[in-house]
Amino acid sequence: MQVTLDKTYPIAAAPDACWKILSDIPNMASCMPGAEITEKIDGQNYKGTVKVKVGPATAAFGGDIQVLEINPQQRTIKMLGKGADKSGSTASMELTASLVAADDGTTNLVGKSDVIVNGKFAQFGGRMMNSVSDMILAQFASNFAIKAQAIAPADTQVAGSATPSASQSGAPAPVTELNAFKILWMLITNFFKGIFGKQS
Amino acid sequence: MTATVSERKSALMGMGDSRLRKEDTRFIQGKGNYVDDIKLPGMVFMDIVRSPLAHARIKKINKEKALAIPGVLAVLTADDLKPLKLHWMPTLAGDVAAVLADQKVHFQMQEVAVVIATDRYIAADGVEAVEVEYEELTAVVDPFEALKPNAPVLREDLAGKTEGAHGKRHHHNHIFTWDAGDKAATDKAFDSAQVKVKEQIFYPRVHPCPLETCGCVASFDPVRGELTTYITSQAPHIVRTVVSMLSGIPESKVRIVSPDIGGGFGNKVPVYPGYVCAIVASIVLGRPVKWIEDRVENLSSTGFARDYHMTGEIASTQDGKIQALRVNVIADHGAFDACADPTKFPAGMFHICSGSYDIPAAYCNVQGVYTNKAPGGVAYRCSFRVTEAVYIVERMVDILAQKLNMDKAEIRRKNFIRKDQFPYKSAFGFEFDSGDHHTALDKVLNAVDYKGLRAEQAKKRADPNSPTLMGIGLVTFTEVVGAGPTKMCDILGVGMFDSCEIRVHPTGSAIARMGTISQGQGHQTTYAQIIATELGISSEIIQVEEGDTSTAPYGLGTYGSRSTPVAGAAIAMAARKIHAKAKKIAAHLLEVGENDLEWEIDSFKVKGNPSKTKSMTEIAWAAYNKPPAGMEPGLEAVHYYDPPNFTFPFGIYLCVVDIDKGTGETKIRRFYALDDCGTRINPMIIEGQIHGGLTEGYAVAMGQLLSFDKQGNIQGNSLMDYFLPTAVETPKWETDFTVTPSPHHPIGAKGVAESPHVGSIPTFTSAVVDAFAHLGVTHMEMPHTAYKVWKQLKSHGLAK
Repeated sequence: MQVTLDKTYPIAAAPDACWKILSDIPNMASCMPGAEITEKIDGQNYKGTVKVKVGPATAAFGGDIQVLEINPQQRTIKMLGKGADKSGSTASMELTASLVAADDGTTNLVGKSDVIVNGKFAQFGGRMMNSVSDMILAQFASNFAIKAQAIAPADTQVAGSATPSASQSGAPAPVTELNAFKILWMLITNFFKGIFGKQS
Repeated sequence: MTATVSERKSALMGMGDSRLRKEDTRFIQGKGNYVDDIKLPGMVFMDIVRSPLAHARIKKINKEKALAIPGVLAVLTADDLKPLKLHWMPTLAGDVAAVLADQKVHFQMQEVAVVIATDRYIAADGVEAVEVEYEELTAVVDPFEALKPNAPVLREDLAGKTEGAHGKRHHHNHIFTWDAGDKAATDKAFDSAQVKVKEQIFYPRVHPCPLETCGCVASFDPVRGELTTYITSQAPHIVRTVVSMLSGIPESKVRIVSPDIGGGFGNKVPVYPGYVCAIVASIVLGRPVKWIEDRVENLSSTGFARDYHMTGEIASTQDGKIQALRVNVIADHGAFDACADPTKFPAGMFHICSGSYDIPAAYCNVQGVYTNKAPGGVAYRCSFRVTEAVYIVERMVDILAQKLNMDKAEIRRKNFIRKDQFPYKSAFGFEFDSGDHHTALDKVLNAVDYKGLRAEQAKKRADPNSPTLMGIGLVTFTEVVGAGPTKMCDILGVGMFDSCEIRVHPTGSAIARMGTISQGQGHQTTYAQIIATELGISSEIIQVEEGDTSTAPYGLGTYGSRSTPVAGAAIAMAARKIHAKAKKIAAHLLEVGENDLEWEIDSFKVKGNPSKTKSMTEIAWAAYNKPPAGMEPGLEAVHYYDPPNFTFPFGIYLCVVDIDKGTGETKIRRFYALDDCGTRINPMIIEGQIHGGLTEGYAVAMGQLLSFDKQGNIQGNSLMDYFLPTAVETPKWETDFTVTPSPHHPIGAKGVAESPHVGSIPTFTSAVVDAFAHLGVTHMEMPHTAYKVWKQLKSHGLAK
């Protein structure tokens, strides 16, 4: 099952602050719900885990992350993650993430990733995989924004940016594990937004 | 006292009577006895560790965490089965299949290990705890990719073997090449033909999806050395033979019981790894072991159907007389060749693809190919590969009609085998027993006002504001069922006869034991009706038993519409043996010669002296009480029937669809099904069978699909995605019939349950394509989902 995601998330924080998070692999990885860097082998290679739970399928992926490219000038990072869980499901993700400064001092996080998933998750079929991947990335962006703002919030808040409202009152704990119910709820609300969105 | 002849006849509830199904009383009260209802003392439970990957090497299996769970009794892998030589098993098609993956997995959801535990839930926890390390290999899901020279070797166990069970293998992923017909004559006819049509037609992979999934309870008695297995099998006797061969336990100490079966449709013909593992586990543990698969497992790993990539070609004259047919097929058999066909026919009866037509020259060629998908190729509610055959010929005839701008009814009428040509020898060598297509076609066209429908369609096509497109589908099919003559058909060397044992008790009731096994066909009802008519015993007091190998005579089971053509004939023949003996006893009792007697409904009477009679009840008593001198007492008979030929049911199906231009939704406005299955035993059951078959045909044509992504992940293996129509989606069916008995069958019956599946699928496609025919569309691939049809609408600028 291959899913290609091409997404842009507005982050209400300055590009430099964002780059600090993005280029710090363990810190960046911890924005991914359920993910954690468990071992740093060298500057380019890490070991990590991701716990995912969707409906009847649960998995704890353990694997390797390889940083293929870090470009501070372009504020771009390219990496390859590969993992397997104990029941044998496998996943790989090739991710290119760049930070683009927005006119208002905030940042756009532009991500392009190719995800290949095999095993239980892949049997859900395309529609589920796409939606779940979207949700995961949205949570990632939200956590990312919280961390970046903790360093240096942007001067202005951008409507519709991936800043949780709670972040204004301090530093809330980022979502640390992918929550099946939350994902389900977001899938349902997005579904209805999709139906009624055009009319409103 | 003096009931009239017709009263006596109707009291028998024999052939032709729509008596209610005897089975239903227990089913509607929840009193059926399915495999999962079997509970034995000390029984434990098995669950299966399955591969998440379609193609991978197994590096390591770690059982320790599973074994540490309290209640887990054992974890078995291929290495544990190896000393017993049970890690691989023979398939019905002459290949071998892994029981548990041996070093390599070949398809997603393949069986890798089994966990046996004291509780079903603990077994599932154990499965989660078994750790398997895989090294991923490139998966091949497309048979055309599999045949490329540099394609990965899927079956390393066959490396270097250039000879398969069905001849030469020309590539490492090639299984067999099988052909039929006269290639040279066909090529010649094509070379000189005025008109030729050719089309690529894919029959997608689908699954029979019976409501009851597969499972078994294996119980080995270590003291007696006897193995009893309750199993979801359509062929319990063959299972016993296979189990005995695999285990080394004498066949006399193996008892296989198929209790009530909740639908089979070909899915319950093969022997699955789960059965073998449960039996091994029971032998190892000395306790009964139950294994019942869940829906996802059933859809993902057990016998699929179809997956035929066909190229059809027809050569004809300018005025539409077909001169030759050529079909080439790439058959995707999955990881192991576990196709359930008579052993000598790796593509089953695919060579029925000349259909109902008088075609002088024909040739077909089928190549079996390995891919990283589940093994199978079972006959999903059809005789072996007949659905594919009927689909290709019916599609091609439509396409020819379109090319010649002829009406699809006319072109069929022109090419039908005429009534006076039967018995008709087809270009592929089948001898069609009987048929009358012209009469049947006229009956259908008149019933639906075909001309009126075409006029309505022309009007709709001319109106750009019409919200719908209208399509008319027509199919005129011939099936080949009742496998089969043992000179041609066998399974693992056992001829495909079938059997019946009838015993008439002293008080005149009777029991019949059969080599077949009903999965919903209503055998207990219909078999009794045959005996009732043959012997004059009311079907109400005739018990029918089948499915227990300890009591039933050896038979090849129920699939491929063979129960009525083969076992139904065995019943009639066994009954006739009893009838002959009864006549001797009657002559003795009435003190006349046998030639002085004639049979009437339920009694022998003396010719010219109708007051002197002996009923079958009186004769039965005498058989146990005072048989003629020198005659063996008792009144029973056994018959093993080896059919002289197949039977050839046929039908004419017509379907009218309205396609919504806005949504692409196809509404079945009308479906008219005329079937000719020869002699009709129970019209109500026939009607029910046709409704069921049409509904399954509708499911296949309109929604069912087992698809895979590039990595070999099965997509949509639950009922959330896999289409099983309910009363909500199912269209209304109109049924009709003609009766053209089979001349070689003792009662003239041909078999019916599969015709509606085989015949309806191309009818739906014919109707959907017909809606677009005026735009030059010649074929659309199944399933005809709203989205696919909408895309077709959109490509012609018709989507509203």
